[in-house]
Amino acid sequence: MTDPTPPAVRLPAATLEQLRGTVAALRSLLRAAACSVCLVLDDGAHLEFVAADGEGSERIVGVRIPVDRGIAGWVAMSGEPVAILDVDRDARFARDVAESTEYVPTGLVAVPLADADGEVAGVMEVLDPVWEGDSARTLAIAAGFATPVAGLLQLGGTAEDRANPLPPDLERSVRDLVGGSRTAQESLEQLLSAVARLRSGR
Amino acid sequence: MALPEWSAAFEGSLATVRSLPLLDDVSAWALAGSTGRGVKVAVVDSGVDATHPDVGGVAGAVAMQVGEDGEVEQVAGPHDDLYGHGTACASIIRGLAPDVELYSVRVLGANLKGRGSLFRAGIEWAVDHGMDVVNLSLSSRSETWYGPLHDTADHAYFARTLLVCAANNVPGPTYPSQFASVIGVAALPGSSAAGIAYNPEPPVEFAAPGVDVEVAWADGARIVATGNSFAAPYVAGTVARILGNHPHLTAFQVKAVLQALAINAGEAP
Repeated sequence: MTDPTPPAVRLPAATLEQLRGTVAALRSLLRAAACSVCLVLDDGAHLEFVAADGEGSERIVGVRIPVDRGIAGWVAMSGEPVAILDVDRDARFARDVAESTEYVPTGLVAVPLADADGEVAGVMEVLDPVWEGDSARTLAIAAGFATPVAGLLQLGGTAEDRANPLPPDLERSVRDLVGGSRTAQESLEQLLSAVARLRSGR
Repeated sequence: MALPEWSAAFEGSLATVRSLPLLDDVSAWALAGSTGRGVKVAVVDSGVDATHPDVGGVAGAVAMQVGEDGEVEQVAGPHDDLYGHGTACASIIRGLAPDVELYSVRVLGANLKGRGSLFRAGIEWAVDHGMDVVNLSLSSRSETWYGPLHDTADHAYFARTLLVCAANNVPGPTYPSQFASVIGVAALPGSSAAGIAYNPEPPVEFAAPGVDVEVAWADGARIVATGNSFAAPYVAGTVARILGNHPHLTAFQVKAVLQALAINAGEAP
């Protein structure tokens, strides 16, 4: 079941563009139906899809899934990559995915993405690749892409930090200042207050 | 052809490794007649569906979770498999060693926070409860956990609890699979692969079938899957059979037997 919370993660535009390009390249290379990246949210309990290419990509971005179920959840929890040829035989997986994207793959590859400290930061999935021979080759290619994709994401901070380079009140203050909807004095005070909270870690 | 990280070491014509000249027929000595009876095997994973026909029940189960105070709590008693993977590992072990006492130690749960603590607590539980073999189809890249997991792996080694750990397909070091005190396992190339191979260029020492293998999964299903995480239980089941015949063996002796059983084992010139 997907979380009804509206999408919150918005990566910096340049990172997102590079990420989209990379998942599109991987999808093309493996002649897959879709390729996507989801990131671990600060609560540690959810993954949110931030980039995708192919089938269902317009619906999956922004979708949050709990980390305690599904193939992506297991990969995030275990830190181990996996390829499954007939994942549609997992009834829970099929139901969950269908609710998210309306596209239920037959097979998939899922690999973990590490942050700079080696902790799991997300999962990259390839749906219905064209298997060439056994699935080891496909798994190896996807796993090889995990390092550069993780590198793209290793910009420091947490998923929400990356999504919102400026905290909401700080961003609002800057907008007010630029837009002139408040007095410079009010905006400046708000700005300083927000910066002080940032520095204190609150 | 590209192969998963660490599996590449086992590709093509394997170099012969010099195993100990244990016996003319080490396979018969090590494995013949053994069903793993009397051997305790813990699957540290996502839980095990004890009702799956390929699992055939478990002797015990405990779940590790982070309590409200941030400390690890142990919840004993039956539990489900959250994902299906622990059930897969259990089915592989049961298929090789049908009479082992299987224990499910669930360390994967609802939150990634505390993952390292739960992971380590699961291994410690297995050591403290006299498990002979522990299957770990999990790994960590965290430098924070390098030291603690190293200590835990050494603790298991000296307590004669054998940790069988899946290597990781994503390039780079992962723990504890690359520690010398554990039995690190990668997938042996090829969907028709059989047996165990020894890598003359460790850290990952062994390989076993793990490509396109049919395994049990959640809700009574079976799936066909690939990953080092499916190769590790093949070795865990084999170790259980060895210990079924020779329960006195230590961790280093078991490694020597596994090497002697390897498909690329040979005699020293």
